[in-house]
Amino acid sequence: MVVRKGIKVTVAKLRKGLILSIGVIVVLALFPIIGVPRVWLLYLFLFFIYLTMANMWNLLAGYSGLVSLCPAAFIGLAGYTMTIMTWLGLPYYVGILPGAIVAALFAMLISIPVFRMRGIYFAIGTLVVPEILRVVFLLWKPVGGPMDGGGRGYTVHGVAEVSRSQPYWLALAIGIASIFLMRYILRSKFGTGLAAIRDNDNTAASCGINVFSLKLYSFVIAAFVMGIAGTIFYIYQGFIEPTSAFSVRWLITLMLATVIGGEGTEEGPIVGTIIVVILYFLLARYAEISLIIQGIILLGIMLLAPQGIVGSIRETRTYQSLFQLATRR
Amino acid sequence: MALFADLSTPIVMGILLGGLYAVIALGLSLVFGVVKEMNVAHGDLVILGSYFGYAGMTIVGIDPILSLIIGMPILFGLGFAIQKYLLNRAFRISMDATLMMAFGISIITQNTCQLVWTPFPRGLTTPYALKSFNIGPMRFPLVYLLDFIVAIAVMLFLRELLRRTYLGMAIRAAAQDRKAAHLMGINTDQVFALTFAIALAFAAIAGVFLGLTFPFTPISGMPFLIIALGVVVLGGLGSIVGTFIGGIAFGLAQTLGGHFFGVAAQMLVAYTMVLVVLAVIPRGIFGR
Repeated sequence: MVVRKGIKVTVAKLRKGLILSIGVIVVLALFPIIGVPRVWLLYLFLFFIYLTMANMWNLLAGYSGLVSLCPAAFIGLAGYTMTIMTWLGLPYYVGILPGAIVAALFAMLISIPVFRMRGIYFAIGTLVVPEILRVVFLLWKPVGGPMDGGGRGYTVHGVAEVSRSQPYWLALAIGIASIFLMRYILRSKFGTGLAAIRDNDNTAASCGINVFSLKLYSFVIAAFVMGIAGTIFYIYQGFIEPTSAFSVRWLITLMLATVIGGEGTEEGPIVGTIIVVILYFLLARYAEISLIIQGIILLGIMLLAPQGIVGSIRETRTYQSLFQLATRR
Repeated sequence: MALFADLSTPIVMGILLGGLYAVIALGLSLVFGVVKEMNVAHGDLVILGSYFGYAGMTIVGIDPILSLIIGMPILFGLGFAIQKYLLNRAFRISMDATLMMAFGISIITQNTCQLVWTPFPRGLTTPYALKSFNIGPMRFPLVYLLDFIVAIAVMLFLRELLRRTYLGMAIRAAAQDRKAAHLMGINTDQVFALTFAIALAFAAIAGVFLGLTFPFTPISGMPFLIIALGVVVLGGLGSIVGTFIGGIAFGLAQTLGGHFFGVAAQMLVAYTMVLVVLAVIPRGIFGR
């Protein structure tokens, strides 16, 4: 009896949570229609894009033990794929999926050398990858005349007349999807396998978990989802150029968002991305010192609360007792 | 066969350039080998050294090499502070924490340079920077020879420092076994801070000679960081000779790459080599 009652309560709670989140999503989706200021839309757009990427970076660094420094490679490659497809006369939305697929295939390709490395060597290996791509795209001009491509970059064709709300909706969709994807992954057999690997990969391997393939799956999934977010970002920006597309700034933003919130926690990237976007908003006027301040914040967080905000809250006694109360049957 | 005829020029240039890469990588190798942390800010700190040389030249009006008298102590102190107050605390948490902190230091350095010296490319143009010397019929820039000589001098200095002084022995002990060194009464935190400080003093030297050889911008640290990482990994952790040979290998990769595939692609050859080295011989040629 007691158990059934408990289940009923949880189901009711779940339903309440679901209704609440659907309500929030609908309101967010209606924002462009009800005429919310453009600046809000821009920052919300950035929030969803960064949230998606930070979630994926968290999946890699926080859950799979892969401190991968190459998100810019996936983002830039997907963005370039989409842009080149618009130059071939296809509408921009056709390019989103191929962009992500190219990013995922590229992840598989670089996993051949990179997955042979461990720990710090893996970090070094992945750091090199975006730089290689940057040089490649500075030299290689797949489409257009001699005046396009290379260092001059490409404009994304066919997005000038598209309203700003379409990329916003796409970003909203992928942002929400990434949250649910993380929930799903972490509660699946795959997620528990990853957790086992993160805690001790030798033990995990001796328990029959295929460490290599699980890491590879999460690498490829992260590349795919980051690729989608990357294409949406470049649809909004309408322009792509190698130095910014393969820049280390992508990594710094994602790292900042994940670390501030709490690496290896599910809510961490959400909290962190909110703070990062607010920070961007506040620092927009002081562009020249913006990155210095971000660097100082990164150092400060690492010194004062290395588990991030969510991680630190979890350690407090109030949270522990609330958690016990909430889970008691 | 015409392609191979004038191969001697890129080979000599590559070997000389390797000296510069070895100096850049030496500080990184020291930190990597002793403190066991990857200092991703190294490239930017080298560029900071270049800017100190530039400031000495434009503000005080002295030769950039002479300005090292001021630049080296500044970077030495900065390195000591960074390791003592930031990184020593971070590596008690985890390897990732040091990596992220180093990223923080990297963006702070990069953007401070940008704020102070603007993003325009600068160069240390001294009277001798444009001079050249002859070997037989071939002409080479004088600064490349300077790079090579400085590399040898700095390496001999480091070797003697590690071999003969108490600090050097303490550094080697801490590198071999941190806990045992600590139990033997070595203040490892202090030793690590001094190691990082020495590495940054070398970065100051590397920065000035880099500035004499190439033009630089606040964001040119990244390519040099990657090459330095390649040099360190190829040479093997903690091996000075290995770092030197690694530097020459990357110098050759770059000049020969430029010779065969064009100047624009020369970095591509060097970068690909980093990946291949990491994947195939991560312990390096002189690694233990």
